[in-house]
Amino acid sequence: MAPFQRVLVANRGEIALRVIRACHEEGLEAVAVYSDADRTSPHVRAADYAVALGAPAPGESYLRIDKLVAAAQATGAGAIHPGYGFLAERAAFAQAVVEAGLVFIGPPASAITAMGDKTEARRRMAEAKVPIVPGLTVPVTDPAVAARAAEEIGYPVLVKAAAGGGGKGMRVVREAKDLAGALETAASEARKAFGDPSVYLEKYIERPRHVEIQVLADHERTVHLGERECSVQRRHQKLVEEAPSVAVTPALRSAMGRAAVAAAEAVGYRSAGTCEFLLAADGAFYFLEMNTRIQVEHPVTELVYGVDLVREQLRIAQGRPMSLPQGPLTPRGWSLECRITSEDPANGCLPSTGRIEFLRAPSGPGVRWDGGFTAGNEVTLFYDSLLGKAIVWAPTRAEAIARMKVALGEMVLVGVATNQAFHLRLLDDPAFVAGQIDSQFLDRRTDLLEPPGDEGVLLDLAVAAALAEDEARTRRRPAVAANGVAAGSSAWLLAARREGLR
Amino acid sequence: MKYFVRVAGREILVEVDGERVTVGGRSYSAHLSRLPATPLRHLLADGRSLTLAVEAGAPGEWALSVRGTRVEAEVIDERTRHIRSLTAARAGSGPVQLKAPMPGLVVRVLVTEGQAVAAGQGLLVLEAMKMENELRASGPATVARVGVQPGQAVEKGQVLVEFGGAPLT
Repeated sequence: MAPFQRVLVANRGEIALRVIRACHEEGLEAVAVYSDADRTSPHVRAADYAVALGAPAPGESYLRIDKLVAAAQATGAGAIHPGYGFLAERAAFAQAVVEAGLVFIGPPASAITAMGDKTEARRRMAEAKVPIVPGLTVPVTDPAVAARAAEEIGYPVLVKAAAGGGGKGMRVVREAKDLAGALETAASEARKAFGDPSVYLEKYIERPRHVEIQVLADHERTVHLGERECSVQRRHQKLVEEAPSVAVTPALRSAMGRAAVAAAEAVGYRSAGTCEFLLAADGAFYFLEMNTRIQVEHPVTELVYGVDLVREQLRIAQGRPMSLPQGPLTPRGWSLECRITSEDPANGCLPSTGRIEFLRAPSGPGVRWDGGFTAGNEVTLFYDSLLGKAIVWAPTRAEAIARMKVALGEMVLVGVATNQAFHLRLLDDPAFVAGQIDSQFLDRRTDLLEPPGDEGVLLDLAVAAALAEDEARTRRRPAVAANGVAAGSSAWLLAARREGLR
Repeated sequence: MKYFVRVAGREILVEVDGERVTVGGRSYSAHLSRLPATPLRHLLADGRSLTLAVEAGAPGEWALSVRGTRVEAEVIDERTRHIRSLTAARAGSGPVQLKAPMPGLVVRVLVTEGQAVAAGQGLLVLEAMKMENELRASGPATVARVGVQPGQAVEKGQVLVEFGGAPLT
């Protein structure tokens, strides 16, 4: 007898629907939760039971640990899946779930805590021999001390404000002679911006790729499921992910995989998790952080490894072993994911809101759509801007790109502006097609965010507008019936007018 | 019937005669069909097949989108265009305004009254969906009035900044 037969999904949107589907495939019942804004959302309709949480603001609904635990107890759910975002990486939530006698579908609270504190995580990773970005762990003011440290780390180095953020108090130093000046300006900027002049030194990684390793751990073993490359991002928001990565050889994959497994084992990890790395052009890689949850981009790994990560999470939470075979696993083919968000690049990437009037989701051979909205749903400012994910699989990267172009070309979403056209431009871009991407790619290529000016399409749109207007005018003009009386007009009204003319 | 279609900063003359159109010096057959129970229409123009979403606004105003690219078009006839050209001298001299494109919270105001701004220059930062969004000037202008202050919540369409002085080009 499994420890639970019913799972409460503490999330909304596409991931809630994704988890509910996995529950049903595993023969489990699903309980949805919803805020007042999501009463008719697909995840509520897909679940077997649903519980109202309250007002739309996340603080009143999806972030209320007390209400979520109470909802699970009221519906007899024996486990809670947090999805991603909201409470997924709050150790306090995992703890509260366990204390209520329920199963938390994810890592133990202690692993979430260990990875949540970035300085502590760095220390533990260094201990576990996981490579981290080399640098100082204490602030530096003495130029002589800094110079010795910089020699040890190796140029270029990054001078970084301790209180840091937003690029303020940050300087790249390529040669020893520029170090003293950079220390001074960075400290002065840091003092002005944060009221604290402390600065650190760290190795500067030029044009790094964002490559992450999927791990899965049950009660007996921890395995890795290769890499995902997520270099196409804007303001740290990933837009396109793929598996595998053009930059990762089988040898590098097993080296990074070993590091990720070591990182997970160092904190006693269970369930699905992801280690994020910076990958330098020379093949060196550095641990950034571990995401202790299922990730938005997990489907690309599923497609190239032929595994359902959410179902594996459910199995592991039930105390069963993962279903993956023993021995090293190899990715097959190529998978690509485009995040469709309600942010309109043609309008400065501002979030767009409104009712989805019509949706034709991408489909066809090798195409998967993980969406959380249907026609009639409102897109509000309360939540994340992710509407859905178009995911494709094909034997090669070039074929996957071609397939994604077809899939997104067929997609129609009316009612809110999306980044669909941006993705189509990106998929045509020679640098992207050649795999020449890094995490600063979109910072340099702002042209991809500009609206296109295709002359042929513009003329066709003008013709369509003229024809639509012509048709509307024909309908506005009252049709005249054979007897000379305007159709749709009252005979009494006509008689009265005739009287008036007399 | 001659229609002047204003779209993407251009004016395109489209002559409609039944199922024939003349545009850009070329004449060909064009037919726009409704797709029932959807906001979509299908265009067959000179043999090209194109599905587009067509949304009607005020009379003469249309929003069209194809493959995720959305444009707003204004369609006027010759008479309306002539009347407008006569009144154009009066129009366009009023204050130009920056309106909130969405509801949100004003985080920072980057300009002051009387300041000259260049095209693309940041005017203020609006927070919505947990993201900070910088609103920029679409052309060179002088800030006549700043209608909001940091920390203020604004509704969609609310006037944030008014411009005057130097013409917007």
